[in-house]
Amino acid sequence: MAISKDNALENARNDLARRLKIDSGDVKEKSIEETDFPDMALGAAEDDEMSGQMMTRGWRIKLEAQGQTFEYRADKNQVRAYNFKGKNYRI
Amino acid sequence: MNRNNFFIHVALALVLILVAAFAGQLNRWRKTWKSHARIVPVEEKKKAMTVEDISLSETRSLGAPEILVKFRSGVSQGAIDRLTAERNDRVEDRIENADGWEAIDDFDNADAATLVKEYQQLPEVEYAEPNYEINLEEGSSGPLVPILPRDPQFNDQWALANSGQRGGKKGADISATLAWTTTTGSDNVVVAVLDTGVDYNHEDLTENMWRRPEKMEPYHDNELGTIDDENGFNAIDGTDPMDDNGHGTHCAGIIGAEGENELGIAGVNWKVQIMPLKFMNASGSGSTKDAIEAINYVIDRKKAGVNVRIISASWGSTQKSRALGDVIRKAYENDILFVAAAGNSTVDNDRTPHYPSSYDVPNVVSVAALDRHDALASFSNYGAKSVAIAAPGVDILSTWLDNQYEEKSGTSMATPVVSGVAALVLAEHPDMSVDKLRAKLLASTDPIVALKGKTVTGGRINAAKALE
Repeated sequence: MAISKDNALENARNDLARRLKIDSGDVKEKSIEETDFPDMALGAAEDDEMSGQMMTRGWRIKLEAQGQTFEYRADKNQVRAYNFKGKNYRI
Repeated sequence: MNRNNFFIHVALALVLILVAAFAGQLNRWRKTWKSHARIVPVEEKKKAMTVEDISLSETRSLGAPEILVKFRSGVSQGAIDRLTAERNDRVEDRIENADGWEAIDDFDNADAATLVKEYQQLPEVEYAEPNYEINLEEGSSGPLVPILPRDPQFNDQWALANSGQRGGKKGADISATLAWTTTTGSDNVVVAVLDTGVDYNHEDLTENMWRRPEKMEPYHDNELGTIDDENGFNAIDGTDPMDDNGHGTHCAGIIGAEGENELGIAGVNWKVQIMPLKFMNASGSGSTKDAIEAINYVIDRKKAGVNVRIISASWGSTQKSRALGDVIRKAYENDILFVAAAGNSTVDNDRTPHYPSSYDVPNVVSVAALDRHDALASFSNYGAKSVAIAAPGVDILSTWLDNQYEEKSGTSMATPVVSGVAALVLAEHPDMSVDKLRAKLLASTDPIVALKGKTVTGGRINAAKALE
């Protein structure tokens, strides 16, 4: 089933709360913008992951928690944590 | 020799020198004219270009037919001859590979637009259009007539015939309509599309899909066991390679959507065999290990007698895998070309390599993307040493899931254009080695200012040149 913008935001917020071991209510939405990503891994490929080199429309989600900003990327197929402590994760 | 004879001989020598010099200049003028030759692209049937947009003067001066007319089925050749004779015209040629099309010349020197209108009013005529000029290449014996497929969305395929549609640059295409005067492909050539799988039931692909020959045993993999590879290979779980994303189906259509079937689009090859290989999932990503499995499958099938000569790889990452490089080299040793996307991060691959396109293996052709204006696509990677060639890769119309057609952008889309041209070359030269095939592709470009210092060749692939 295709992921909506609201679903993507909710998934990202819950994932960040889990990673930081905090309540999801303590994760604030900073911004969410529609954008083109460079590939089908949304420019956030995991280690050992190859992706189709097709421009992909999706959302760049920025969240705030513990005084820091965290970035997630999403499209209709997936949500990814971008550069979380130096690594990308598909959630 | 007396004094009078001496002056006569000197005068004669001067005259001869002047004549020779004038002839030489004429030849230079002729070459200059030809060096500026390019295809005047096909008409957009939906809208945009009108016959007035295209100059036909040079066509006429070459004595080429002035219009192309498609008569309705059932109209006899005798009737066609009578209709043309009544108008003081003549059938100059029947066009190969385009059933029912006649090239008609006019003796009254009427302009093509008038002739088109006149013929379109005849009940016997299905369609008439100007004979858009293809100028002569050096050494040609006469004007060529472009081959125009009757696929209804062909006019949106600017990569194949850029007539300036949607504000593009006329002629910024791969010269497919001229290439098709030589060949439209062959179902003896198999191209492996290593991707998200392929919708092999798509209406515009199904006739051009590879299927395991009945006499060939199902594939056996030590890890996956025996696999029924009737429709290709799925390296993820050994099941069917049906596409669940759309990306692989799009790439397949660029290479080989069936031409002249009056459906959708035309591929670079109208006839070819597409071998679906699935290693990327429904989101469009996959593991290096599965990519290696799929390439090994191709090599094994080649060894078993399948004429698979090209792997089209519209994917990648910045992570280098020695194992992946090794299996691509193994493909090279088995005479298989590996065409790969340069990547979409607007970076210089000479400094930041992108794999598999940056592997230094002799069968790898790294492909950058161009837009409809002949500019390097804003997203495209480049590399004066590491990116071989460029091809159209922005707003490319091709096949999608569920018998749909969509426009997509990326070096993913430029890659199968080059794979498709390679397949055309192999259709014409089936025994060409992978080394010669790669060299042929790299020697078959139109120089593009925007690519100077950005790719090895500095040019856009030209299918017609590749077939010379």
